Amino acid sequence: MNRKWGMSLAMLVLAAAMSGAAASWAAVDNGVCLDCHGDSSLTRKDGEGSVFVDQKSFQYSVHNINGIGCLDCHTDVGDLDVSQAVPHKTPLAAVNCGGCHEQAASQYRLGVHQKASHKGIIIQCQACHGYHDVVSNENKPVRERENRSCLKCHNPGKYHNWLPQKETHFTYVQCTVCHAPNMPHVIHLRFYDLAKRQFLEPERVLAALGTDFDGFMPMFSRDAKPEEMSADEFENMVFALNRRGLYVGFHAELLSQNDPRVHQVTKVSAKRACADCHAANAPFFDSVAMFFVDQNGGVHQYKLDRKVLESYSVSNFYLPGSGAVSRLRPLDLGGILLVLGAGVGVMLHLAGRAATAPLRKRRHDRKEGEAD
Amino acid sequence: MEVMNAIVEAGLAGEEGASVAGLTRKLRKPVVAAANKMVYIHHAPIRVWHWVNAAAFVVLLLTGVQIRFAGRLNLFSLEEAIHLHNYVGFMVISNYFLWLLYNLGSGQIRLYLPNPRGMARKIKEQVVYYTYGIFRGDPNPHQVTPEDKFNVMQQQTYAIIMFALIPLQMATGLFLWEIKRFENYINFMGGVRIVNLLHVSLFFFFAAFLIGHIYLATLGHTPLAHIKAMFTGYEEE
Repeated sequence: MNRKWGMSLAMLVLAAAMSGAAASWAAVDNGVCLDCHGDSSLTRKDGEGSVFVDQKSFQYSVHNINGIGCLDCHTDVGDLDVSQAVPHKTPLAAVNCGGCHEQAASQYRLGVHQKASHKGIIIQCQACHGYHDVVSNENKPVRERENRSCLKCHNPGKYHNWLPQKETHFTYVQCTVCHAPNMPHVIHLRFYDLAKRQFLEPERVLAALGTDFDGFMPMFSRDAKPEEMSADEFENMVFALNRRGLYVGFHAELLSQNDPRVHQVTKVSAKRACADCHAANAPFFDSVAMFFVDQNGGVHQYKLDRKVLESYSVSNFYLPGSGAVSRLRPLDLGGILLVLGAGVGVMLHLAGRAATAPLRKRRHDRKEGEAD
Repeated sequence: MEVMNAIVEAGLAGEEGASVAGLTRKLRKPVVAAANKMVYIHHAPIRVWHWVNAAAFVVLLLTGVQIRFAGRLNLFSLEEAIHLHNYVGFMVISNYFLWLLYNLGSGQIRLYLPNPRGMARKIKEQVVYYTYGIFRGDPNPHQVTPEDKFNVMQQQTYAIIMFALIPLQMATGLFLWEIKRFENYINFMGGVRIVNLLHVSLFFFFAAFLIGHIYLATLGHTPLAHIKAMFTGYEEE
């Protein structure tokens, strides 16, 4: 028995003795598992691969916050036999995430990652989502979301050479917007501290306003549609933050809605139709929202009217072809009038020259007569 | 020159002179006085620059319209329009710096710098000519020479365009080409929408300017005289 397993076993025996009973399935809580698996040098019996669980990361994971314990996922641990070096059976079966996340699993089975298994490449949930540190990504920037998932394996910079503004798309558009094309989309606005030049956590916004997740929307949205913040109410919210010394702008990103269908990632049908997004009537303009994630991992979605995108506070947002949501529509009108004005001016001048041609002819003839 | 204008007017006038159709027919039949002296005005590098720029501007305007009104127009696919706009945009930027280098090197840059002496009077004369004198058959108050090829209004317009508006259009175009790469400059200017506002405003200005420019180019002693000169380099004195 190696030294670490021995020490762990001793601790387990001590725990069992203190409880006055043999450790059983029902009695094992996360703490018991972490007594051994909290050791960063813990490896499998054969020495291959770490079985360490970072207690801190696990503590803040959505699963722990929501009361999901080790044995809820590792269901085949069974009763612990503390007389053994490894007090549970090995190897354990792979965790079946689909046991709880049924819809996500069924959508995944239709996607390209599942299809890769035909080539002998097994991509399990944790390859994208991680093991014990799964957290909500809802209010994370696109790049951070992708770093935790797609970019672990994929290097989009190597491809997409056809795509104009490649880096801009990678920064502001989630991969699945194009690669899970059946998904509904949402334009997500993130608070940006203009003074400190950094993104603002929702807690700071709520603290400045003196409200909480539930009180945020009613504080500003008081019209006939309380579930949606209008453009005026949005401006009031910005002014309220300004008055409290928080000068904010907003960064807009295009995301897939949080929906199990996002797991049906495709390759061959990845969208290459620019006009689907770069059009004034693109459907996602109707879905604009802010997401706040609370300390328990709960996501609070606040719906916004699409006219919010015309606010000066969202001045980093511009899509060619998005004229109907842009405050610059008067610019188009003014520009078209300018061009038409130039055309009309030219036509009038030309008509004036044509109309006055006889006058010039008479004048010319008179001069010639005088010269003769 | 006055004699020349009189001959042109004689060509434009006549029985049909008062109708637009008649005028158009007359415009197609320029009257040229063989006795007039030809003066070399437009140097070859400037002519090449001008026509490359002209073709590029047309492409930029067409693709720009497609990009701006994506989903409403179908001149090109948006993808094609953006790529073409980018390539041609870089061509215009290169062309601009060749123009600048040539004009600085040859000293011709001075042609674009208005002389403040008598400027107000010259502007007044030129405005009166275009709004009144041209209809009466008065001679153009400005005589084209190699040392003074632009009238005072052309000089000021071209100076503003070449030293302010084109550089601004190039800079904003460059920033919009790769928003992420230039995000610090874009943020300094107030965000991508402000940069885009400038770029699109100038796009409309240049579209309007092009209409006026082409029309004014037909106001030589024959409708094609200035345009021909931009190919041959020679204007009639």
